Amino acid sequence: MGKSVSTTEFNEMLKTLAGEYRIFAPKRFVHHGKCTGTDLIRYGEVHSLDEIEYKAKSNFSLKEILHPINQTIFYFTETEFSEPATENKGIVIFARPCDINGVFRLDNIFLHNGDEEDYYYKKPRDKVRFVMMECTVGFENCFCVSMDTNKSDDYHMAVRFGGEEYLLDIRDQFFIDVLEGVGEDIEFTPDFIKRNRVEVRLPEIDRMPPAMYDHEMWDEYSTRCIACGRCTTTCITCSCFTTTDIANEDNPKQGERRRTWASCHIEGFTDMAGGHGFRKKNGEKMRFKTLHKIYDYNRRFGKGPMCVGCGRCDDACPVYISFSNCINKVTSYV
Amino acid sequence: MTLDINIGKVIKNAYRITSTRGLTALRVRIPGGHLETKYLDILKKIADDFGNGTLHMTTRQGFEIPGIDLKRIPEINQRIGPVIQGIEIDTAGIDISEPEAGYPAAGTRNIASCIGGRVCPFANCDTTDLAFKIEKKVYPNNFHVKIAVTGCPNDCIKGHLHDFGIIGLCEPVYDYSRCIGCGACSNNCRAVATGALILKNGKIRRDERRCIGCGECVLQCPTAAWTRNPMKFYKMVIMGRTGKKNPRIARPFLIWVNESVVMDVLTNTYQYIDKYINKSLPKEHVGYIVDRTGYPTFRDFVLDGVKLNPEAKLSQHINWGGYENASYLFIK
Amino acid sequence: MNNPYLPKPYHILEIFHESETEFTFKLERDYEINFGQFLQVSLPRIGEAPISVSDFGEGWLEMTIRAVGNLTKDIFKLTAGDKMFVRGPYGNGFDMSEYIGKHLVIAAGGTGLAPVRSMINHIYRDEGVVEKLDLLFGFKNPSSIIFNRDIEKWKEKFDTMLTLDEACGLDGVCEGLITNYVKDVRLSEFEKMAVIVIGPPVMMKYTAGEFVERGVPEEKIWVSFERNMSCALGKCGHCKIDETYVCLEGPVFNYSKAVKLID
Repeated sequence: MGKSVSTTEFNEMLKTLAGEYRIFAPKRFVHHGKCTGTDLIRYGEVHSLDEIEYKAKSNFSLKEILHPINQTIFYFTETEFSEPATENKGIVIFARPCDINGVFRLDNIFLHNGDEEDYYYKKPRDKVRFVMMECTVGFENCFCVSMDTNKSDDYHMAVRFGGEEYLLDIRDQFFIDVLEGVGEDIEFTPDFIKRNRVEVRLPEIDRMPPAMYDHEMWDEYSTRCIACGRCTTTCITCSCFTTTDIANEDNPKQGERRRTWASCHIEGFTDMAGGHGFRKKNGEKMRFKTLHKIYDYNRRFGKGPMCVGCGRCDDACPVYISFSNCINKVTSYV
Repeated sequence: MTLDINIGKVIKNAYRITSTRGLTALRVRIPGGHLETKYLDILKKIADDFGNGTLHMTTRQGFEIPGIDLKRIPEINQRIGPVIQGIEIDTAGIDISEPEAGYPAAGTRNIASCIGGRVCPFANCDTTDLAFKIEKKVYPNNFHVKIAVTGCPNDCIKGHLHDFGIIGLCEPVYDYSRCIGCGACSNNCRAVATGALILKNGKIRRDERRCIGCGECVLQCPTAAWTRNPMKFYKMVIMGRTGKKNPRIARPFLIWVNESVVMDVLTNTYQYIDKYINKSLPKEHVGYIVDRTGYPTFRDFVLDGVKLNPEAKLSQHINWGGYENASYLFIK
Repeated sequence: MNNPYLPKPYHILEIFHESETEFTFKLERDYEINFGQFLQVSLPRIGEAPISVSDFGEGWLEMTIRAVGNLTKDIFKLTAGDKMFVRGPYGNGFDMSEYIGKHLVIAAGGTGLAPVRSMINHIYRDEGVVEKLDLLFGFKNPSSIIFNRDIEKWKEKFDTMLTLDEACGLDGVCEGLITNYVKDVRLSEFEKMAVIVIGPPVMMKYTAGEFVERGVPEEKIWVSFERNMSCALGKCGHCKIDETYVCLEGPVFNYSKAVKLID
């Protein structure tokens, strides 16, 4: 159902939700950006509309809500393991269609890869309600249309920002109840972006030709990529992590087992005890990531590419490597 | 007619006595070394009409228009008026009653700065903006003071060779929960800065005593675990100089001070000079005055009434070291 | 909800010193296991790592660990009666049905012998399981030889060849890389044989290559991979090669697939 609500009414709704939900949205952290005078936009907890940055693309994706950058999975006392307390509140996330599609990619890795569901991902994931932020214009480096992620039906409510009133498409009984008697009933369904400035063609092949793995195009990335990992930390679909144990410095008998984001682009990702590792060249790391995003994932799950075309990797790359261009190169070579 | 001029007035008007008798050169102030191109048109016209068709870029980021006939100073002052109006009055906000009478003083030199945060990714502040703010505080003034502003401890403007080098700092703020322990910051800090960051157990420890506030860690961090404290901090290094008499590099005076401390210290410095300058000399450079009074006298005077921000740190003593020219140092 | 990351403590029953840097730990066991599978072994506050099972029997298993990292160094400080934390087993392991009644050749390099030791011991105890077993082992030098007591035992029943990279002058021990001795391995009709090659990545690549060179079809060769792993559950991404997760589909791969996996 459609509704038109005022700023006050929207804020009232957020207030009501706050009782049982933590509400996450892109937020602008003024002058916290990389360079002086620049801002950082990332997900954070919000309590009112004015905290939501709906005009700009966030530098980091929403994945850190469901797959925290650092997460304690066990606390240790002597030889006892205990799990950290679980947050009981539900989770409402304001997200663009590309990111909502991205979460379903994460679901495949964390919930459907192998026999076991990921215990720590599933807990918050089961509590998520998406408020889709209508996205009709996109941003520099976006290529969601090419990845078929410009649209999503998997939202509980959609919102159009930018007018006097907020236009809502409500799909979920929960939000229908929360907004009962509020605002004006209207006809509204969100629009989607139809064309990005960047267009990407995916290779239409059943099997990646072996020659592609040592194609000279990767050598060029060895000379350019600095393996900083930004393309993977900002990526909505990069899900890798490492587990480490930490002993309390003051009392080494206590400690924790911690899960931390890891990246195939950062040195040491494949290193085994004893030091042997794989993909030492940065071009090989680029090849591994690229094929993972546009080929391997689809081979495994048969659900299209992993990449959702949010373009954050290209926004973040300090050496101006364009992932969208890299995909196009692969396609043109196969 | 033989020239009969008061060179004191000429010099204070920002013209100088040159190696060619009868000719002078005008020094044009460009705070921060950054100017709108429309002023270049005016400078070009003056150089073409009154000078020898050349412009000299000075070491202090101003322009000098050489080859001017001393007799034509009043006409040139008329022509430089719009530059003074635009840069000094309208942009810096300085109260100059007669811009068409030329520059009202030349002792305090142009405020030099690196290109800063408007262009350079490493900068921790908008150096051009700060240069203009300082210009407003210190100009016009006849006391001989050289001030430079630089965006980061790389000190590209070489503030360490100025009476006051003002260095933009970043206080890096660490978000433990965002750090993935990739070591990008600590490896880089060790390679290009001071090794103030240590990676231990997948997390970073920052040795505050070693950190120089360069902000490199913020640039390196792939997860925004390091961010900038939005408050701007500065380091003031003082009394560096080149020159025939005892050249030396500036030393830290204050670090982690805010902009208002910088401004107050600069303002107080002029009162300090006024009080302690040797009036029997034609001019005395501030650094040599500090040599005479000693650092503690300078320090206590310029900090009198200044409210230091809580993060500020102040040097108790300064040992500038020296420079030796004596012939016995040379073996050949 | 069951937490698959939660390990369980098991007592160490006995510790054997295989070499200066390789110890075998015998642990209690109360779960099913297959040859060539691995466990996620941890010491709380030190860390967790994948370790392959080197033998097992009724109510016990053994793991042979090389002291190379932080965790393994601390594991070496443990004594019988201490506890190790274990979750698993993980991975596919060797599918015995592929080898039953066949002429099986196992070529193992260094600690690569550990994951196949349980299978060799199984065949030793139950001789009829395979038609014939030939063993080819390579180690760096005399002090790096592990499972000496087993090898001596195996020699009685199986055609066993031992080579050391470095010259040693020991009786009955060859000198040089294991790859040099593939040519001396007896081959049978390919339909009736199977080859397992296991060891460090470079050793596996060239040794398997030698067998292929001698005409053994890739489908008749199996290898076992070792990779960095954090979860062993298909989530952490460390062991992924192309669309394959070593923890889920491996660590044992038929060579016809393994040869196509490009790290």
